[in-house]
Amino acid sequence: MIRAGTRAGTLGGLANRWGFHAVLLALGALMLANLNWTLVRSFEFAFIWEYRIALINGFGITLLLTVEAGIVGILFGTLFAIGSQSPFAPLRWLVAAYVEVFRNTPLLVQLLWIHFALPLVTGINTTALVSGIIGIGLQAAAYYTEIMRAGIQAVPRGQIEAAQALGLPARTRWTRVVLPPAIRTVIPALLNQNISFFKATAIVGLGLLVDDFFNSALRVSNDTFHFIEPLTFAAAVYLVLGWQAGRWTLRLERRLTRGER
Amino acid sequence: MSFDVNIILRYYPELLGGAWVAVWITAVSLVCSSAVGAVVCIGRLQKHGAASRLATAYIDLFRATPEIVLIIWVFYCLPLLFDVRIGRYGCAIIALSAYGGAYMAEIFRAGVQAVPRGQIEAANALGIPIFHIVRRVIVPPAIGWMMPALVNFLTELLKATSLLALIGVAELIFVASTLGSKTFAYMEFYTAIAVIYFMIIFPLSVYARRAEQRRLRRTGN
Repeated sequence: MIRAGTRAGTLGGLANRWGFHAVLLALGALMLANLNWTLVRSFEFAFIWEYRIALINGFGITLLLTVEAGIVGILFGTLFAIGSQSPFAPLRWLVAAYVEVFRNTPLLVQLLWIHFALPLVTGINTTALVSGIIGIGLQAAAYYTEIMRAGIQAVPRGQIEAAQALGLPARTRWTRVVLPPAIRTVIPALLNQNISFFKATAIVGLGLLVDDFFNSALRVSNDTFHFIEPLTFAAAVYLVLGWQAGRWTLRLERRLTRGER
Repeated sequence: MSFDVNIILRYYPELLGGAWVAVWITAVSLVCSSAVGAVVCIGRLQKHGAASRLATAYIDLFRATPEIVLIIWVFYCLPLLFDVRIGRYGCAIIALSAYGGAYMAEIFRAGVQAVPRGQIEAANALGIPIFHIVRRVIVPPAIGWMMPALVNFLTELLKATSLLALIGVAELIFVASTLGSKTFAYMEFYTAIAVIYFMIIFPLSVYARRAEQRRLRRTGN
């Protein structure tokens, strides 16, 4: 008991002393006892197969939004991050304001604003999907700007100064000296961010009623009056994909940091 | 296009009401997710055993599932599964606490592991009861370490409350949509709530960033 307490996992020893496992077991038993077993026994996942076309189409929209967030985000994020390093102060302020506005308001508010308020400003009506693409692209650009900026600032100053001393033109300096190592260091952060946007696509689906994967699953529920099966199936798909992508990113991150040493 | 400020001023009590709902749901969820997070963190800190595996599974489960999927799932499935009536607000708090618990557990773990091991060993060698070690040796420095991450998580939780509009909780977006459909002043109300969210979240995220920098400077890495 004392030895258990000497490790940093002191709380581990604490857990055993409190009969942590007993509490967990009791909680599990309580949950199982209160389940609506008649309902659980009537579960039937087979009918989801009949809606496969709708679900696959929905998944296509989800993928489209995820990939779009990545591409638009990295492109504009890199551009804005370069802007944030500009010697011209108003440009820096503009980038900072953009990033702060889009990072400090909820995505759903941005989406609703773009879908319902922006057409009043521009006079152009956008479909829900287009609004979603614009909204998630704008937010992705803001988040990726921050990541790229961190990457650029991690490039040793000496390298940038050396490029300047050699008289490399600004364009070459960015494309050949600063950006390659900057992007390399932030690849795991970029991927993690894109997993977040994969999760956020469900907000586009429900918020703007775009038929993405999750909204399609919800429509299957409304169509069949079976709520638990389609929603649990959809949640499981998000869970498995998000979890697996997270694991790959972590492995890639470990490999990249090992390569640096 | 015209921007009618008067209509916002006319309906500002409703908007403030929505902001208040968002804030109290965040507060309650923060407290509940701290409790969940503390329990999961204790499990996670063990090297092996059922509790450790269960805690890891819990964290993976709730961090990999999108918040909105979780909220909708809890709203539609939980009352059916357990044959209980929970209500919108109950569902909201359950979903946010379950989701928050996973993040809080990781924040707590980072905080506890940041406490130098020697201090805990010294306290243990002095024969101080474990409860006092936790309260006097681990928690005070861990809190300082966790503050930036905690405040950061608070901003995430505030942003997540916006999703509750989709299950009919009368928070800011729900209020703005209702007022918008009543007056057709979508532009004004959506802009107003964006400003309100920004005014609540921006100071917090500035604080989190500053605190993080201060901590990095102090620890020197």
